Amino acid sequence: MSANLKISAALVAVFAVALAVFGVVRAQGGGDGLPAANAAVVREDSHRLSSAEDGRVTLVEFLDFECEGCLAAYPFVEELRQAYDGRVTFVARYFPMPGHANAENAAVAVEAAAQQGRFEDMYDQMYATQTQWGEKQESQAAVFRGFATDLGLDMTAFDAVVAAPETLERVLRDREDGIALGVEGTPTFFLNGKKLTVTTTDEFIEAIDAALAG
Amino acid sequence: MQPSLAEPVEDPAASTGREARRPAPPAPAGLGERGLAWLLLVGGLIGLTAAFVLAVEKYALLADPTYVPSCSLNPVLSCGSIMASAQAEAFGFPNPLLGVLGFPVATCIGAVLLAGARPAPWFWGGLQVGVTAGAVFVHWLIFNSLYRIGALCPYCMAVWAVTIPIFWYVTLRNLNELRARLPRPLATAVGAAQRFHGVVLTAWFLLLAVAILHTFWLYWSTFLV
Repeated sequence: MSANLKISAALVAVFAVALAVFGVVRAQGGGDGLPAANAAVVREDSHRLSSAEDGRVTLVEFLDFECEGCLAAYPFVEELRQAYDGRVTFVARYFPMPGHANAENAAVAVEAAAQQGRFEDMYDQMYATQTQWGEKQESQAAVFRGFATDLGLDMTAFDAVVAAPETLERVLRDREDGIALGVEGTPTFFLNGKKLTVTTTDEFIEAIDAALAG
Repeated sequence: MQPSLAEPVEDPAASTGREARRPAPPAPAGLGERGLAWLLLVGGLIGLTAAFVLAVEKYALLADPTYVPSCSLNPVLSCGSIMASAQAEAFGFPNPLLGVLGFPVATCIGAVLLAGARPAPWFWGGLQVGVTAGAVFVHWLIFNSLYRIGALCPYCMAVWAVTIPIFWYVTLRNLNELRARLPRPLATAVGAAQRFHGVVLTAWFLLLAVAILHTFWLYWSTFLV
């Protein structure tokens, strides 16, 4: 065996070992990586867009404000909210996709608005403007701050919450729940705790009706 | 009289025979001439297949531009979604057309070399220009795939995987030819690169593997839960 081959093989071996060690350390150092048993579809701090009086049926969406698929689903979700007003609880949870440079910034801005009771306004605003700020590499935090100003938020409080590391942690806890629950992309819906696998809007409506009837 | 006629007729015992004749140091150039020829032939065929499939996917995509995909953690997408990006037409036409043009040339050169051709230096120079342009373009595509589009497409990766070694071994071969005329430190470096050609290539691929793992770590980590 030539030195060329030996060193090449050694490089590959070192890489494989490093990867294995890194993977195991990450998997075990799981203070933040919640095991699936502790994952919850809805938490105390999850944002409710609408609430059902009887609280029997809950629809949860894991979403990313920068995802085109979520933008495409948004008008349909709004229709559902109107159609099932008072009968279904709608919950939105953050799932910023790593490939979207401003997904986390957007979620943090929405969370900061939520702390002033304006979750839904900011949520609407993000989708209404997604095509203007989405798919950009540069930070759009200033744009999001502009939305907050337009909403008339207390900007001192907004800035402080955006800057606080706890806000991003709060956003990423949603995503960790999602990953533990098997969310692999956005939008992903859970109806009464079970992942919805529907391909058409009609099937979606049938599933909700079935849950309401059941 | 052509210089190639001065060379011995055929070389089944290629390396040993040639080394004895040449004034240049006897280090085998990377893969050796025949190895390089096979690399060009087979690599070109793989690249051509991948580029052709991508070109066909591009047409399929043009047929249905309204499709909005959901956003997936899984970076391994159908190449169609990547073909929808602006980077997919770097020069105003679909990138795979470049591969459909370029890879058959590599294959053809490989076949001609295997058939015993001894191209003139200018021919190797031309090939060097081609493979260098290919390598630069492929690395631009890799960068965009990882850091701009955020997705991987298997056929594109096949193109990366053949373009890099083709570039590397053509370059090594040509540097080896120039070695006698290079300044001493550079010639030493070329000699080391010749001897450890596989190490360089392995490191190159591992670096890409690390970048891919790092960029899509959130997805790979879902397998660890």
